[in-house]
Amino acid sequence: MPKILVIGAISEGNLTGTSLEAVTATLELAEAMGAEVFGGLIGDECARAAARFAAAGLSEVFVADHARHAPYVAEFHVAAAQAIVRRCQPDVILAPSTSETSEWMPILSGRLDAAMASACTRVGFEGDHLLATRPVCGGAVQGEYVLKGGLRIVTLAPAAYEAATLSEPCPISLVELPDVQARVTVVEQLNDQVGSGPPLRTARTVVSGGLGIGNRENWSLIEDAAAALGAAVGATRAVVELGWVPHAQQVGFSGQKISPELYLAVGISGAVHHMAGLAGAKTIVAINKDPEASIFRTAHFGVVGDAKEVVPAFIARVKELRAQQA
Amino acid sequence: MHIVVTIKPVIDPNTPSVLLKIGKDGVTLELPAGMSQIMNGYDANAVEAALALKDKHGGTVTVLSVGDETSKNCLRRAIGMGADRGVHIAGPTGLACDSSLIAKLLGAAVGKLGFVDLVLCGRQASDTDAAQVPFLLAGELGLPVISPVKNIQGVDDDSAVVDRIGEGCTQRLQVKLPALLGISNEINKPRPAPLKGVMLAKKAEIPTWTHSDLGIEAPQPAMTLRRLYIEPPVETRAELIAAESARAAGRALADRLRQEGKI
Ligand SMILES: Cc1cc2nc3c(=O)[nH]c(=O)nc-3n(C[C@H](O)[C@H](O)[C@H](O)COP(=O)(O)OP(=O)(O)OC[C@H]3O[C@@H](n4cnc5c(N)ncnc54)[C@H](O)[C@@H]3O)c2cc1C
Repeated sequence: MPKILVIGAISEGNLTGTSLEAVTATLELAEAMGAEVFGGLIGDECARAAARFAAAGLSEVFVADHARHAPYVAEFHVAAAQAIVRRCQPDVILAPSTSETSEWMPILSGRLDAAMASACTRVGFEGDHLLATRPVCGGAVQGEYVLKGGLRIVTLAPAAYEAATLSEPCPISLVELPDVQARVTVVEQLNDQVGSGPPLRTARTVVSGGLGIGNRENWSLIEDAAAALGAAVGATRAVVELGWVPHAQQVGFSGQKISPELYLAVGISGAVHHMAGLAGAKTIVAINKDPEASIFRTAHFGVVGDAKEVVPAFIARVKELRAQQA
Repeated sequence: MHIVVTIKPVIDPNTPSVLLKIGKDGVTLELPAGMSQIMNGYDANAVEAALALKDKHGGTVTVLSVGDETSKNCLRRAIGMGADRGVHIAGPTGLACDSSLIAKLLGAAVGKLGFVDLVLCGRQASDTDAAQVPFLLAGELGLPVISPVKNIQGVDDDSAVVDRIGEGCTQRLQVKLPALLGISNEINKPRPAPLKGVMLAKKAEIPTWTHSDLGIEAPQPAMTLRRLYIEPPVETRAELIAAESARAAGRALADRLRQEGKI
């Protein structure tokens, strides 16, 4: 019977939601392939995450638990994944696409001589090969790739699948880790999260600004609007390149892919690369002075006007409404 | 210091979506009339990073590109910016090309160049967006690899300190040289080629190496592209909130979103 290994991701000690999305993709693929499904986890003190993962409908979870896995260094993760692969002997490996798997997974694929498709939105099985669909050209075009025999690796874009539901736990086994010398060492790790709002990736409401904000001083408009709404702050790549906000706040194809209930885009033109991060957003609101801006074609509500006038009035009214409610 | 930079020609990523058309074979993009392929943006950042290191520490910069004749134009742009020499490697390009195949060709080419201190690649090509060649090439060469890098803090004889874009964090990492770095756009703004550089680049000899020149069998793809398709955009037609002034519209927007239960 073929085997599929799904490798979960851990954030601050917790199993990520994207890991459970990867489980759903794995279970669907297993059904099509007639395969058995195993889990893998790599982290430091990951018992809590492992317990959750074990209840996701897998046969067994292999855990590589070691202090050297935090802070993250690619070579240690690759060594851990190799140890898990030796135990599990999978035909296919699936995992959520994160900034970490984007680095260590292709290194692993090279070492194991496995074909790999990254950040896919769909994975299927046909005849004898895997079919992986992934956005190319910044999300403007979709590509359907064929991965023939041998070990194959697919990472999944966030929100491509629903999260799996939890049930009865399966056994958890610890894997032995080899000694490895990493040629890369962490000098320091700086948290890029700005402001006191919720984290961008999982926030229900996000207020994002683009070049239309005009200058760094005006950026407080975006922060004030976010604070009034209890929202996270986002930005376009153009703004990140100017250094107004760190890269961690970038929304889009090469930034965060998010699924908020409400997305407020202020002074943002609506380029394909930016909108590729918003496939999961429920309601998009655009404030832009150009009525022809392409953002108005995908937004649900819009105001044509100067952000410097519209946004302060919007914030004032939001505060009034909140005060009335309280 | 010898720095090698890899370059891919790509369709301009700012091509308006309405001009994007899939070719008859189903696996290539047709270039809109009057447009030619350009140097991948992240690769231009990598060239700039290499030249900045050369400005500071001296040394030579070699640029490599796998592809058809368009590769040579990209190599000329890099030479115009200040790279010392370029080598074209005959091979596939575009969306159908496979990361492991490209990495094998580049690996053999870097091997043929002799000693290298640093290999810089763009973090990914903006057409396939696969982000695999840097890692697979590092594997071919047995080098440590870090990507995406947004800052090179310092380089000395046997190590480099760089900032990597992590998961909600910046990782400052030290790596032993020789090493491979995947370069991201935050790192710099590529310099324009000065007129003198452009003239030099025009005349530069750019050899073409085939897989047999590199002493390897034609590498086989690990993955094949079956088809490309463009999803029709979901048009929502925004409900525009109009009012007598921008301020009034701002207030009306808040009211409308409250009415919808969104805030
Ligand atoms: C490989 C690649 C990857 C990329 N990845 C990303 C990504 O992940 N995320 C991303 O965002 N971008 C990305 N980009 C860049 C993207 O293509 C666009 O260039 C970028 O999103 C534009 O940012 P912007 O909307 O802030 O600026 P612009 O496109 O310049 O738009 C500014 C808007 O502000 C409006 N405006 C101006 N003044 C005012 C005012 N006073 N009040 C109200 N509105 C005003 C203008 O009408 C305009 O619509 C990528 C590009 C490439 C090539």
